[in-house]
Amino acid sequence: MRIRGALAVALSLGLVLTGCSDAGGGGGNATITFWDNNGGPGRTPIYEELIKRFEAANPTIKVEYVGVPSASVQQKYDTAIAGGSTPDVGGVTTSYLANMIGQDALEPLDERVDSGPLKGKLLPNLVETVRQTAPDNKLYSLPSSGNLDVIWYRKDWFEQAGLTPPTTWDELVDRATKLTDVGRNRYGYTIRGGAGSVFQLLTEAYAYSGVEKFFDGTTSTVKDPANAELIGKVAALYKKATPEADVNNNYTQMVAQFTGGSVAMMHHNLGSYSDVTKALGTDEVGAITLPVGPSGRKTVVPNPTDGFAVFKNSKNPDAAWKFAEFLVSRESNSYWNEKVGQIPANTDVRSEAWIEKNQPVKMALGVLEDKATRIVPAPVYLPEYSSITKTDSEPAYQKVLLGQLSPQEFLTGLADKLTTAQQEWEERK
Amino acid sequence: MTALDSRPAVAAPRRRRRQWAPYALIAPTVAVLAAFLLYPIGSVLYYSLQRYNVTQPWKNGFAGLDNFRRMLSDDPLFWQSLLFSTKWVVAQVGLQLLLGLALALIINETFVGRGLARSLVFSPWAVSGVLTTGIWILLYNPSTGIFQELANLGVGDHGTSVLGDPATVFPATVVAELWRGVPFFAILLLADLQTIPKDLYEAASVDGAGRWRRFLSVTLPHLRDAIVLSTLLRAVWEFNNVDLIYTLTGGGPANQTTTLPLYVARKAVDSHDFGYGSALTVAGFVILLFSSILYLRLSKFGSRA
Amino acid sequence: MTETLVRETVAEPPDRAAPPRRKRREDPGRGWRLYLPLGLYLLFTLVPFYWMLVFAFRPTGSTALVPWPITFEHFDTVWNDLGFGLFFRNSLLIGVGTLGVVSVLALAGGYALARFRFRGQRVFLLALLCTQFIPGAMMLIPLFVIFKGAGLLNSLTGLVVADTAFQLPLALILMSGFVRNVPVELEEAAMVDGCTRLRAFFAITLPQLRPALVAVGSFAFIGAWNNFLFALMFASRQDKFTLPVGLSYALGEFNTDFGALAAGGVVAAVPVVLVFAVVQRFLVQGLSAGAVKG
Repeated sequence: MRIRGALAVALSLGLVLTGCSDAGGGGGNATITFWDNNGGPGRTPIYEELIKRFEAANPTIKVEYVGVPSASVQQKYDTAIAGGSTPDVGGVTTSYLANMIGQDALEPLDERVDSGPLKGKLLPNLVETVRQTAPDNKLYSLPSSGNLDVIWYRKDWFEQAGLTPPTTWDELVDRATKLTDVGRNRYGYTIRGGAGSVFQLLTEAYAYSGVEKFFDGTTSTVKDPANAELIGKVAALYKKATPEADVNNNYTQMVAQFTGGSVAMMHHNLGSYSDVTKALGTDEVGAITLPVGPSGRKTVVPNPTDGFAVFKNSKNPDAAWKFAEFLVSRESNSYWNEKVGQIPANTDVRSEAWIEKNQPVKMALGVLEDKATRIVPAPVYLPEYSSITKTDSEPAYQKVLLGQLSPQEFLTGLADKLTTAQQEWEERK
Repeated sequence: MTALDSRPAVAAPRRRRRQWAPYALIAPTVAVLAAFLLYPIGSVLYYSLQRYNVTQPWKNGFAGLDNFRRMLSDDPLFWQSLLFSTKWVVAQVGLQLLLGLALALIINETFVGRGLARSLVFSPWAVSGVLTTGIWILLYNPSTGIFQELANLGVGDHGTSVLGDPATVFPATVVAELWRGVPFFAILLLADLQTIPKDLYEAASVDGAGRWRRFLSVTLPHLRDAIVLSTLLRAVWEFNNVDLIYTLTGGGPANQTTTLPLYVARKAVDSHDFGYGSALTVAGFVILLFSSILYLRLSKFGSRA
Repeated sequence: MTETLVRETVAEPPDRAAPPRRKRREDPGRGWRLYLPLGLYLLFTLVPFYWMLVFAFRPTGSTALVPWPITFEHFDTVWNDLGFGLFFRNSLLIGVGTLGVVSVLALAGGYALARFRFRGQRVFLLALLCTQFIPGAMMLIPLFVIFKGAGLLNSLTGLVVADTAFQLPLALILMSGFVRNVPVELEEAAMVDGCTRLRAFFAITLPQLRPALVAVGSFAFIGAWNNFLFALMFASRQDKFTLPVGLSYALGEFNTDFGALAAGGVVAAVPVVLVFAVVQRFLVQGLSAGAVKG
């Protein structure tokens, strides 16, 4: 392995020295490094299988897999970019894509997509969410999977209680209250109050209010009174129909409560499919989309889109692209999304048999394909986005849950910061 | 020569003729630290005077003391997190020292099963931060944790959540950190207890000193330097320790458990505001520097009676 | 002369393996005073470990408090799917490497601080402390650049260097305290007898420092064994990752697998605990055989 690595370095050095611009591309042997942005027991084995298939089909390219734990992936990318040691290709999501584009680390992929077999095969919705992260509206990540917020619920508990899954938020409050039995350590709902809370909260608020745009001009609609109403409803459930621990819940703690069997409903997204079904079984767990509010409109704040980015520093950009393209090819994209239970970006996968059997994915596709669904993208392109929605707002939301801040005050503060950031963004454009 | 006279003579005359020796001995250490830490520390100082945010490069530039001005007059969270850091360090170091000393004294005795007891007492020290937080997340979780099991046995209420309740989140976090922190003191103080010459105790016993008296007049003075040093090092370490609180509470609820370094991590790493994060780090640096000097002065470190 | 002095200062090293039992009888409350607090403390220590074992050995989804029948599925996951075998090897090599380098440098530097008074001593001590004042995360990028320049990325040697740089100040300061506790007269007496300072150190002082070396060395080992940030940031190859990186795989969003976390924890913790069980006996002062021979 070491010898091969040294050879690759020597080879690419030689090519650079001889002024060959097509270093490692196409024909020659190449080793590329691939960073998985969510390495772990659930996903690493899937990539290993796909890499095996890729190497079999492309014997001249060797892929080195590096699994990065999801909690540290941003820091890892930031460090690598600052130190000039980026991989050739890496998994990214739109939640931090803008930061990487801002650091000028990625290659635009538009031309490569257009001149290859994936042209016209990518879900337009997902392509759009990726494009939105770039000031130049280019495609810096090849979308592979879409995601949708869902509420996982315990089918068995609902059956026993003779209840149907909620379709409106008021029904959700009703079900959550009815399914709570503190004496038996059972709660109807769980709130994500810790890390990652505000994004989920925004999806809930817009699902309820039916507000169709994130910005009205440059003014954030986050502070819409209907949004505040929903937050009030959810916060009222805290400690009554949810565990007290929820105020600090990050994903890990929240899923521990759900899979530990003390919670009836948990709002997360399709991505937790394997975590929840592995612990509770596919028969016990169902998924519903976020309920609607009084308007009845289906409004979706789309979840971050997963994809693969090719790095500017790559010595083998062609090989790196080839691998990314392979991962989103019909067969690989189908294999991947079937395993993780997410929405395939490759539209050819739509007709695969497994989609019919996977209720959550089928349901999510239904929502996204429904003409009546309104997509309200969050402004992940703002450089301050994560600073505003995470560092500043997550502690503020905890104050709402603890009754120290009113929902409206909380949203007004959040909206004002987003408005300022959006105005700056518009000016720069 | 009585036993007491033979205490280690720290102030013994040093040979001045071979002055190259100490420098030769510390040279490798100086080299390692200079090569690897000088520039990184310097860069933090540098960035504290800059506006620096990789996601907004157009705003980067020299900021003078702006970051510090913002910190001191415009950022209540700085003061709040500093206060919490102080509380955290005092609680951690105080309790770790007390429990560690008590444990060291116990496992320094001779009794049946001592070897096993020692190994078990030390064992949390071997557990990494990632694992410690993982275990305590499960232990405190209302559906997988110990309070759920206790409630099943009729002790306490279901749904008890020590991390979610503002009244209990601090002690709960302290306990989790104590679990892996106490062995540090236990190991160190046990090793130091071993260097107390036995005849000191015997002399004290002859003088009719009781157990408590012997502890105060022999053990404690002997351990003093070790205690001063280990509390200082531990305080610095606990001050900058982020991993446990970050994963266990994320600094919440509502910033209640946000320490200064945790705040730094959120600003510099999560929000990419590296300039301001550096300024916060420099503030921590200065505070630690002055506290350390003060502490060493007040404790008259190295000048035994 | 040497012999008498040695006897006087170190006294008879108490033979702790064979306690003088007659003394104990005089003190009937001793058992309670020892075992009650110890028992309580052990309970506090062991409950979290028990939780880890329960999660490691029971099937996913089970809520039984006693993991029976036990399953090894999680060990299969961490060992075969995540490659913990390699992580284990890497952590071990880094830990042992750091232990070795830090012990030697700390011994040298600690001795210098304790036995000499030299110009710059206080500055050196303060500089050592200062290196601990800044969280590693804030120094990450400049460190990364240095490591890249020195060709230390993606290598276990590089991680030993990084861990050494961060563990050394603590180890050195602690070691100087221990050296100070060894009476300087012992060495001086040996030197009067014609030993060189170096020989006197190896023959007299070093054996006395055995507990100190165990304490300081284990701190260095554990620090390196458990380091997460550097291991993840300075290595970008799967075959150079370490146990803490492997453990954090099990806490990811979409990848939360408590069984794997606990099983990985068992893999990571049990060997170290066992080594501690062996090594802890060396925390007891040796028989000072070297000192008497001197």
